[in-house]
Formats: sequence, C-alpha cells, structure tokens
Amino acid sequence: MTDMQAYSPSPPASSVPDDNTVLSRQARVWRGLRNFVRRNPLSAFWGVVATAILIMAIVAPLIAPHDPLKANFRRMSKPPDAQNYFGTDQIGRDNLSRVIYGSRSSLVVAIAAVLLGTTTGSLWGLASGYIGGRFDIFSQRVIEVLQSFPDLILAMAISMALGTGTWTVIVAIAITRIPFGGRVVRAVALSLKEIAYVEAARGIGASTLRIMALHILPQCVASYLILATTHLGVAIVIESALGFLGVGIPPPTPTWGNLLADSLNSGLIPPWWLVFFPGLAITITVLAFNLFGDGIRDTLDPRLRGTR
Amino acid sequence: MYEYILRRLGFGLMTMLGVSIIVFVLMRVLPGDPLVAIFGMEGFTKLTAEDRAHYMAELGLSDPLVVQYLKWMGDVVTGELGRSFFRDESVADMIVRRGPLSVEIGVLSVVISWLLGLPVGIISALRPNTVADTGARIMSILFLAVPGFWLGILIVLALLFQFGYKAPLTGVPLWVDPWANLQIVIGPALVLGVGQAAYIARMARSSLLEVIREDYVRTARAKGVIERLVVNRHALPNALLPVITLSGVLMGIVLGGSIPIEQAFGVPGLGRAMITAVIERDVMVMQNLVFLYSFVFVLVNVLVDVTYAWFDPRIHYQ
Repeated sequence: MTDMQAYSPSPPASSVPDDNTVLSRQARVWRGLRNFVRRNPLSAFWGVVATAILIMAIVAPLIAPHDPLKANFRRMSKPPDAQNYFGTDQIGRDNLSRVIYGSRSSLVVAIAAVLLGTTTGSLWGLASGYIGGRFDIFSQRVIEVLQSFPDLILAMAISMALGTGTWTVIVAIAITRIPFGGRVVRAVALSLKEIAYVEAARGIGASTLRIMALHILPQCVASYLILATTHLGVAIVIESALGFLGVGIPPPTPTWGNLLADSLNSGLIPPWWLVFFPGLAITITVLAFNLFGDGIRDTLDPRLRGTR
Repeated sequence: MYEYILRRLGFGLMTMLGVSIIVFVLMRVLPGDPLVAIFGMEGFTKLTAEDRAHYMAELGLSDPLVVQYLKWMGDVVTGELGRSFFRDESVADMIVRRGPLSVEIGVLSVVISWLLGLPVGIISALRPNTVADTGARIMSILFLAVPGFWLGILIVLALLFQFGYKAPLTGVPLWVDPWANLQIVIGPALVLGVGQAAYIARMARSSLLEVIREDYVRTARAKGVIERLVVNRHALPNALLPVITLSGVLMGIVLGGSIPIEQAFGVPGLGRAMITAVIERDVMVMQNLVFLYSFVFVLVNVLVDVTYAWFDPRIHYQ
C-alpha cells in the first residue's frame, strides 16, 4: 500500500476535517478543486485560460464576428481597426474570425492525437511491462526506433505516406506520442508487478488480462493524465508546424499553422497582423496547457514537486 | 570503456536498421502511382503501358520490395543515395550542396543554447526565489511555448522594416564569404538556440539545486573552500551530467525544429529540400533525408552516452 500513497494526493494536515464524516461525491470534488487552487494558484489561473480557449473553440460560430471563409474584396489587406480587430487578409477575410475558427481544428487535432497516441502507448507499455519476456524486449526495441526520429520529421513522413486530411495529421502526431506513453507506463507496471496485492491476485488464479485491467491499470491513471496534459502543448506546436509547412490539414480550413503559412504567401512582405495574431494564439494556448499540466503533475505525483 | 563504446555503437546500428525499415515501408505505402506524381494525372494517362514499365524500371521501383530495400541499403553504405524524381541532381549532391548550411545552424544553435541556458540556470540555482531566478524561470517557461518558426518570421519582418533585409536566395559557403554566411545562419541558429536554452536552463537549475545539497558539497564548504570553487570545481561537474544527456535529447528539436525555421528565414538548407520533397512527393529524396536526419540523431545520442560514461565511470563498470 505504500506505493499507492505515492500516487494518490493526500491533503495537507490542516485541510483534513477532524471528524471523519463521509463527504458526498460533489463535496469531495469541490474540496479537491479548492485545494488545487490554493496550492497552485498559477496553474489554476492558466487552467481557467485553457478552459476559456476550449470554450472559444466550441462556440466559435457564436462569437466570431464574421464568416472565416468569406472574402470581402472591399476590405483587402486592412490593418487592425474598429471593423476588423485583427485586420483582414489579402482577399478580405476577417483575421479575428479565422484565428477563432483556427482554434477548432488545432485543438481537435491536438486533443485527438494526444488521446490516441498516449492511450495506445500507455496500454502497450502496460502490457509490455507486466507480461515481460520477449514481448517486452521486442517492444522496447520498437519504441527505441520510434524515438530515433525527430518528432516533426516522423510526422511529416507519416502524413506524406497517408495523404492529406484531418485524420492523417491526427494519426501522424499520435504515432510520435506513443513512445512516451510506452516508457512511462511500462515503468509503473514494472514496479507494481511484484507488489503483494498483485501477487495475491495471481495466487488466487486471476488471469493476466484481469490483473492488468483491474489491478494494474487503475494505478497507471495518474501517469496517464500527467502525460496527456503535458503533451497537449507539444501536439499543438507540431500541428501548427505541419500546417505552416503545408503538410497539415489542407486549406481553406483555417488552422493556426495554415494561417501562418498563408501569411507568408500574401505578397512580398507579409502583413504583421497576419503573422502576429495566429502565433500569439499558439503561444498562449501552449503556455496555458503547459502550466496547467505542471499543476496537475504536482497534484497527482507529489514526488516530482519542484523538480522542474 | 572500449567494450562499452562498442556495445553502444552496436545498439545504435540495430536502431538504424529499424529506422531504415520504417522509413522504407512508409515511403512505399504511399497512395497513388509515383508516375502520377511525376507526370501529373494527364501526362500519366498518355503514357503507354510500355513507357510506364520503362520509367518504373528506370526509377528502380519495379523490383520486388526486398530487392529495392537491399539496393537502397547498399546505396546508403556506398553513399550513392539515388536520384531525385524531379531534379537532375543526385540526393548525395543535394546533401553536399545544401547540408553545410543546416549543419552550421544546428551546431551554432547548440553552442548558443549552452552559452545562454547554462549561466541562467546556474544563477537561478544559486539564488533561488530571487528576482533573477523568477525572471529566468518566466523566460524559460515562455520560450517553451513560443513556436520557433513564428519567432523567426517576426524577426525577419522586423529586420525587413528596420534594415530592408531580404531573405537570401542562394546559400553562401562559410569558406567563400564568412560574413555573408553568418548573416544567413545567425537568425535561425539564434531562434533554435533560445528554444533549447529554455530547456537547458530549467535542467541546469534543478540539477544544480539537487547537487548543492549533497554532503560532499557541505564538506567542501565546511573545510573552508571558497564559494566560487565549491560551485565550479565540486558542484558543477556533477550537475552538468544530466544537462549533457538533455542536450542529446534536444537534438530532436534541433533537427526537426530547423525545418520550419529554415522555411521561415528562407534559408536554402536541407530542411527546405525536405519540405519540397514532401510537397512534390519525391520519394527518393524524402526517404534518404529522413534516414539522414535520424542517423544524425542516433549518432549524437551515442556520442552523448559515451561522453557521459567517460565523465561518470559508474556507467560502464555496470
């Protein structure tokens, strides 16, 4: 049980209620949130920013002032003013609306890729760590090979092989995330393998699959959540780089990377507002997810606190 | 030690074998006929079956996959590397012509990252929770989030407005005109270097903070060694080990990140060649360039491991 304590957050002594009343589920969630905010005010703030960006992506049609795809030839290449707060591009599309809509594709790709890649990698790592033997050795070699590609180059090669499209980009980024899940969760599974309660389960004749699903998996959730949140930022950057290089989601769909690519193709000198705002959106979003992720890691894995 | 180096090299070789298989498979499952990519849909339909067979044979694409793979591996060993589908240039020539610029950018960026990240990390660790420390941490968190290529375009724009700077159309080798060459390389190297420096500063800070609490450092202080020597002679060498390893891992950012950054600055390096290859679906070029970049990545990490073992004898005595 000592190992379990390392993975579950234990509230500081002052906030533990002295009477051992059983709190309702809702009350526990609220207390957890309150503790998180008190201990990581900075991460909590950036968590709010991240949530706001997510909401912005979901309700994009409601808050975007213009149609992101509609050209307006009377207002071409206009710098930011009262009509178009972020200016317009070379065929008069509203830059602000395009940045807002861009958050949709960028976030969908990043979130889907991280979920797909981290889940695949984690399950793989779990199996290879627990089963061990030849399967483990083989898996380790494959993961090593996958890690020998620079992320962006592997993603470029995969998206070239699979053709263009949203799913291609998602799969391409997801594959670059597999090794991380594989490594981290494998280590957790290895350490749990010899713990008494797992041995007990083996002793009473539980099947390998059952032990992995019911006894090992729950202990890997903390590592999984940490991985997923810390890799969201990386995924957003890779997506924007792919879009910038013209191998991401094909235009005219606005993604932040595509907007930056477009800005370079709009005349000899790219207008500063077409360059500045999409990049700013990427920076703020990555910053928000990174710092929120730091807070989540500190909460779920107190051993790592202060190491970064 | 020699045994350790040999073992590490052997591992590296095995990894490269795996890398080559993955690259080859990826480049052969491409949807569509490579001839369509070369001649366009219209041109492709005009070709007779004989022509098609002839071109496929000329490109070396009509052999069985295993033969193609073995041929490619032979090419890699002899340094032949095949030809571009679209340009009258062998891939080896392309690497020789465009490679130096990319290598310069990469090496310079690593140097910059150490020169910038290390002092910041050390100051942060020696004076934790002061203004300098907070400032350094904010900077490193910020630069982890800023996409390098965006910073690159902004710098180019600023230079354009200030000095009328224009993106270079052709590369100038270092030995022909060092000054013109430096003007091309310094921007991308700086942007790449600052991005890595953020990671290095973070790692140096946490690593030095840990080492400085160790008993032997306290012993050194207790016997009256002056603080500068305690840090430089006793704490730093041990604290730097993780930073060396990190620098090897960061090579992935140097290699991958240099591609959009070369694009942003308009540097005619290898990264640009790779972008062109992806867009034109030039299989031979892409295959070899991906292999080359991964090779450099693996090689650097083998070197890092050997350096590490050299500094820390515990490693190779295991």
